[in-house]
Amino acid sequence: MSRGAAAAGHVAFIAAFLAAWELASKNGWLDPTFFGYPSGVAQYLWEGFVVKATLWKQLGYTVAGTLVSFLLGSAMAILLALAFVTWPRLEHAMDPYLMVMNATPRIALAPLFLLWFGLGIGSKIAVGTSLAFFIVLSSTVAGMRGVNPDHLTLSRSLGATPLQLFGKVTLPSAVPVIFSGLRLGLIYSMLGVIGAELIAAEHGLGQTLSYLQSTFHMNGVMGLLVLLACLGMLVTRGMTALERRLLRWQ
Amino acid sequence: MAAAIEIRDLVVRFGADVLAVDRVSLAIEAGEFVSIVGPSGCGKTTILNLLTGLLPLAQGEISILGKRPAAGNPDIAYMLARDSLLPWRSALGNACYGMELRGAPPAAREAKAMELLRRVGLQGFERAWPKALSHGMRQRAALARTFCLDSPVLLMDEPFGALDAQTKLQLEDLLLELWTAERRTVVFITHDLAEAVALSDRVVVMSARPGRVIADIRVPLARPRSVRGLQKSHDFHELYSAVWEKLEEGLGSAFEEVH
Repeated sequence: MSRGAAAAGHVAFIAAFLAAWELASKNGWLDPTFFGYPSGVAQYLWEGFVVKATLWKQLGYTVAGTLVSFLLGSAMAILLALAFVTWPRLEHAMDPYLMVMNATPRIALAPLFLLWFGLGIGSKIAVGTSLAFFIVLSSTVAGMRGVNPDHLTLSRSLGATPLQLFGKVTLPSAVPVIFSGLRLGLIYSMLGVIGAELIAAEHGLGQTLSYLQSTFHMNGVMGLLVLLACLGMLVTRGMTALERRLLRWQ
Repeated sequence: MAAAIEIRDLVVRFGADVLAVDRVSLAIEAGEFVSIVGPSGCGKTTILNLLTGLLPLAQGEISILGKRPAAGNPDIAYMLARDSLLPWRSALGNACYGMELRGAPPAAREAKAMELLRRVGLQGFERAWPKALSHGMRQRAALARTFCLDSPVLLMDEPFGALDAQTKLQLEDLLLELWTAERRTVVFITHDLAEAVALSDRVVVMSARPGRVIADIRVPLARPRSVRGLQKSHDFHELYSAVWEKLEEGLGSAFEEVH
């Protein structure tokens, strides 16, 4: 089947699904209090982004929190991974503590971070960072350990300094594996930020979602879920594009 | 005149029990092409790693152009058995790599790399990723990377070991062509006797572990040579048989020691 035909199939299916949902809610087969209407969802998003344009600010808080968490968490993880690969004894010493921290469901730290960093974006970043950090750390260590020993031998024989070995051999060779960690890290940063916003926040899509839910604004809840799904897709797509660009050699 | 490379009473042990190399002494003149042949495990690669300074020298003496071995010695260019091209660099980037690590300015190293890529027959493939190159082409790129360096000593560890017979002959001729232009000192490790005889001025035969020098045979074939041409030469085959006998003696004595 051609791509065009496949896309047409999806469009037809989604249209039929939305029509059935609309019809079922309108006729009372589905309780609109719990399911909303597709037309209501569309209207909510239209008002939120175009008429009143209030959702942009919330979206901005969530996206900013996600990106900062992701960058902070991955940068710390990559630096620590480098330290681990350079000094294996450090990894050996820290391993049990990291294991305990990694095993803790980190979203449970959100109440603590809320007290420490307040209701603002700081606590969201703390949760997001803690989630991204561990995922990126383990994949980066694995990637750096997988470096081809021939490349190291050759580079050492050519007089590479430790910094050159890292920048020209270890890091680029680890990029494919690091990337699978970064991709997950980005998704988990978003998960952490939205999770923390749901619990308590001044701004953000999670906070909006929680408010809409408590006021039984189902069209709004559904609308935000659609929005978050799109955001997640966009983030993953962006990572894939970047990966393609960086890994042209593969 | 002192030899370019001098190895005196070299002994290498791995752990307490394994004697890998036993009292090896070898002098290699400047501009000489010397092959070291021996069965696997005879310590050939170990000797190269000692020369590069990648393995610490425990017993014996080594001098390379009057200096003790040290990692990153700019007098040495090392070529490994596998091409070790960095897959994230183009052929050009790989050819530049050695010069880059040794601090050559970007414009100069690129010009030099382009020239060498042309000489190894990779013109038009400068921007190709290693994955897009055949084995032979990858090893050509590795040759370019090696010959881009102006090191007077080349250490080559079975560089053509993984190639098919036809490609191997082509690359051996290419190596001779590059070498003939500059006459650097070459230590060439191989387990392929025909290759050793065809390329070298001298073939040093080592025994199975513990590695000892059991023969040091001069190859009086005229230069410039064509490896492909030599395949049909009578002198070549006679020399080959002579070296083969020495190698068999070494293998035989090792075999008897075990049983």
